[in-house]
Amino acid sequence: MKRFIHFGVLIFITFALSSCGYNSLQLKEETVFKAWADIESTLQRRADLIPNLVATVKGYAQHEQETLQKVIDARAKATSVQLSPADLSNPAAMQQLQAAQGELSSALSRLMLVVERYPDLKANQNFLDLQNQLEGTENRINVARQRYNEAVEMFNGSIRRFPESLTNKFLLHLAKKEYFKADEAAKVVPKVTF
Amino acid sequence: MHNTLLIKKLAGLFLTLTLVFLGSRPIQALEVPALKGRVNDYAGILSPATARQLEDVLKNFETAESTQIVLLTVPSLDGASLEDFSLRAVEAWKLGQKKLDNGALLLIAKNDRKLRIEVGYGLEEKLTDLVSGRIIRDIITPRFKEGNFDQGVIDGISAMMDAVKGEFVATDSTRRQNRGGDPGAMLIFFLVIFSILGRILARTPWLAAGVGAVLTPVFGALALGLGSLWILALAVLGFIGGLIAARMANATGGSSHGYWGGSGGFSSGSSGGFSGFSGGGGSFGGGGASGGW
Repeated sequence: MKRFIHFGVLIFITFALSSCGYNSLQLKEETVFKAWADIESTLQRRADLIPNLVATVKGYAQHEQETLQKVIDARAKATSVQLSPADLSNPAAMQQLQAAQGELSSALSRLMLVVERYPDLKANQNFLDLQNQLEGTENRINVARQRYNEAVEMFNGSIRRFPESLTNKFLLHLAKKEYFKADEAAKVVPKVTF
Repeated sequence: MHNTLLIKKLAGLFLTLTLVFLGSRPIQALEVPALKGRVNDYAGILSPATARQLEDVLKNFETAESTQIVLLTVPSLDGASLEDFSLRAVEAWKLGQKKLDNGALLLIAKNDRKLRIEVGYGLEEKLTDLVSGRIIRDIITPRFKEGNFDQGVIDGISAMMDAVKGEFVATDSTRRQNRGGDPGAMLIFFLVIFSILGRILARTPWLAAGVGAVLTPVFGALALGLGSLWILALAVLGFIGGLIAARMANATGGSSHGYWGGSGGFSSGSSGGFSGFSGGGGSFGGGGASGGW
């Protein structure tokens, strides 16, 4: 009978450790951080494209100085806002980043509308390449954002669910993460057609 | 024996619950069709000869380089976004080899007059957004505008292959997947071996250790197809395992009914008899380009 008890204790410990979520919660938080890193790299990719884009447009559309300047300013502001992993639980910090990136998105979409007036530019190979790259980057941002939000949903869901909620409350103290909300202005950019 | 029955029941319950939760995902518009092969011409824009030729070319390309390029044509997107549908297709099909992520999709929506090249992580270096955009703009769409789908698709796929040629080389591990067991299965496998060993040779622990040291690597090599370095490690593991198992069996009275008293049925995944085509487990991050004609 004794060995059954031993076995029972062993099973109990194994189940307790694997179902209380001590490990899985931390794993899910890691997934959130990784997904966020992906968003950051795609945002950086977009920021890196902009100087080239501005230079190309400038050569054809000198009269659009104001629109171009807005893009440059918005880029500067967007690249200055960075979040640390701890900031992912801070609604104000996330709000600030979303606002800065959203502003850049709308400045870019205004630029793309203005470009419509310059047929020479629209036929320029370099510009067409840049446009493809910009669209590709916007699409990557979308994908990274969706995956990040899914990771956050998983994580936020599990810290509220029993028994992980208890583990988190007494042992881990992990904070709820903020979603990276869909930015309506950002969706406009890839839709520019000729 | 009652508790094994209980565990089995609980396991069944958890499995059911998991299935229920997985099943309650929202239903998405425009289902991704089945992956029939490398050429999935659901819109019927290709001639049979072109489809066969493409299938062969892409098959040879994968055999040589392990890179998977697949064509999907649909009659209509039914209002779905091109980029969204394209990503769902590659996520469902998992084109490209696992870890290498060397898959790419050419998606054509006939009635929407839209097309997209979706590029896996591993091919993004060569088949960049820029290159994908040029392939669509300069190579495919001019042919499509003439109504020549066959030539447009052939030229487009060729350009995609040219762009990524030499990026990857097929190796044994990409040709033969599912090699070696996963850690969980291996653990169970060894536990079964040791417990049986322990029961039989409970009175002579050192003999059990010796038998374990010989049998474990032999089983490992035969059943799991493990390499020589593993064999060495398994011999040591088998020795220790045999010793412990015998000691434990002794301490608990050496009853013939073990905790692991099930059948030792163990198979290392299904292999052979499968001649179809499937994705290798590659992943995508939204790279590529879209266009229209």
